[in-house]
Amino acid sequence: MNRLGRAVVIVCLGMITARLLFTGGYGWFVQQRMQIPLILAAIVLLIIGGIEALQATREEQSNPDSMSRHAGPAVGWMLMLPIFVLVSVAPTALGAAAAQRVEAFTPPDTTERFEPIDSSAGIPEMRLSEFIDRAHWDEQKSLKGTPIRLEGLVVNDDDITDGFKLTRFMVSCCAADGIPIQVALRGIDATYADDTWVVVDVEWIEPEVPYFEADGPRVVEAQTISLTTVDSGIPNDPYESPYDD
Amino acid sequence: MTSTETHVSGDPPGHVHTDACDHDDESNDHDHGHHHHSAVGGKLAYGPLILVLPLIVTIAIRGRLGLLDNTDLRLWSTLFVSVSIQALPFLVLGVTISGLIAAFVSPDLVQRIVPKKPVFAVPAAGVAGLALPGCECGSVPIAGRLVDSGTPPAAALTFLLAAPAINPVVLVSTAVAFPTEGRLVIARFLASFIAAIAVGTWWARRNDHSLLKRGMHDHDHGTNRWQTFLDAASRDLVHAGGYLVLGAMAAATLQLVVPRSVLDVVADNELLSILMFAFLAVLLSICSEADAFVAAGLPQFSLTSRLVFLVVGPVIDLKLIAMHAGVFGKKFAMIFAPVTLTVAVISAVLVGQVLL
Repeated sequence: MNRLGRAVVIVCLGMITARLLFTGGYGWFVQQRMQIPLILAAIVLLIIGGIEALQATREEQSNPDSMSRHAGPAVGWMLMLPIFVLVSVAPTALGAAAAQRVEAFTPPDTTERFEPIDSSAGIPEMRLSEFIDRAHWDEQKSLKGTPIRLEGLVVNDDDITDGFKLTRFMVSCCAADGIPIQVALRGIDATYADDTWVVVDVEWIEPEVPYFEADGPRVVEAQTISLTTVDSGIPNDPYESPYDD
Repeated sequence: MTSTETHVSGDPPGHVHTDACDHDDESNDHDHGHHHHSAVGGKLAYGPLILVLPLIVTIAIRGRLGLLDNTDLRLWSTLFVSVSIQALPFLVLGVTISGLIAAFVSPDLVQRIVPKKPVFAVPAAGVAGLALPGCECGSVPIAGRLVDSGTPPAAALTFLLAAPAINPVVLVSTAVAFPTEGRLVIARFLASFIAAIAVGTWWARRNDHSLLKRGMHDHDHGTNRWQTFLDAASRDLVHAGGYLVLGAMAAATLQLVVPRSVLDVVADNELLSILMFAFLAVLLSICSEADAFVAAGLPQFSLTSRLVFLVVGPVIDLKLIAMHAGVFGKKFAMIFAPVTLTVAVISAVLVGQVLL
């Protein structure tokens, strides 16, 4: 790779990072807190790449032979691959396909005392992770009889004939470490395609046997009160973080 | 334990080492083969291919079997792009610092600081690793330069192993990836440091410098320092970044190809999972600034087995073997790699037993 090639790769990297930041699309791949590190990286890449490109062009004009100078290994061209994939395949956020590969999250036993749920200002919104955490471990059973608003994507499951698994991913760093968090929604007549984003009002269905005493998977179930599809599609911050609290 | 010599073989450096010293090439990357069809460089140009070919073949075969539908490709792309983007800020920080070092920290200065006797120099070089952040791709050329400038090779090699594993950038990224496991950060630091010192001591005792093929090269310290910075940072970026992308490809492919059930079976057996993680660390060749995030994504495995992954990865993997062979010679790499791997695994397991 000669000097101009090197400059082109660095500038392209800076530009694709800037684009992901402007569109907010980076949130499909990494946690929101990576925003500032990514901004700094984009700035450094654009400055270094820009100066390199200017110098390389000038160098070529004054001395055409200089372009054959070895300025980096050929493996450097591999940096163009993520850019190419982003542009051609246009990958989206984790969805049903990923949910079927990894076992769903089970909240670890917690000694934490749960705050009472405040429903005075209408139906409260809750993260899926908090919902299943309360379902499992809240001794006050605060979810019982309390309508809750949840947001997530549709993952259809053959075992659920009157609903689907409402799913979000818990991502600690990047999407490659995503673990699905799921609530089985019941009482839905219509069918929805996998990966459709929905907002639902639900009421927790208390299991006959506590989750931790049951054999097999401990799926949290909820009765659906109302359902709205999210027209804007996948949000820019589709993931929950294990350190949200 | 005798003190060491600057010129490691009996031959005049200019005579034997012509193919290893690229006039204008500071970073000494193994890719020289494209320019000088040397014995070492020419073969090593295939290094990336060795890593990529199995991936391509796997993907091709999966396509034939009808396993790779559009969904799989999209999921692969999401995982691949995610690992790449997550690592990018760390990579940029790493090469910025390595560029600054190349420009403002002269080998003479380092030489004045490093003690001459290996018994002092080895631990000192290990500690120096703490202060010189960068990923492993950056520390290979730095170690080469240290040897050139008269640092005892044992100390340079200790630095080579310590710097990518225990520097602040790597420790911070480990802490970020494992926010609830502070002990793992300490364990990583200790196990890596012990492994680096052990290998350095082994090399000092062995004292067989005929193995170490080391070309002398001049750098242009006469030119503008910012120009040196720009060149070193850019070179390290495309070099380390290229290998990082290969690692991201391998990681994404592995997540899709390896059946979950196999991982679960392995996860139940501590010995198997330790061996598997040592193997994965060598094969995946993930940058030390990003490997903690990959390990964090495999929570079904014990912390000790994942510690093995974090300790082995920065000191020895496919891309490092290639770089070692390029910078220090093939004979050296053939002996250094298995010793380093063994020492790293033992150190990680021992520290893991005590701390985790």
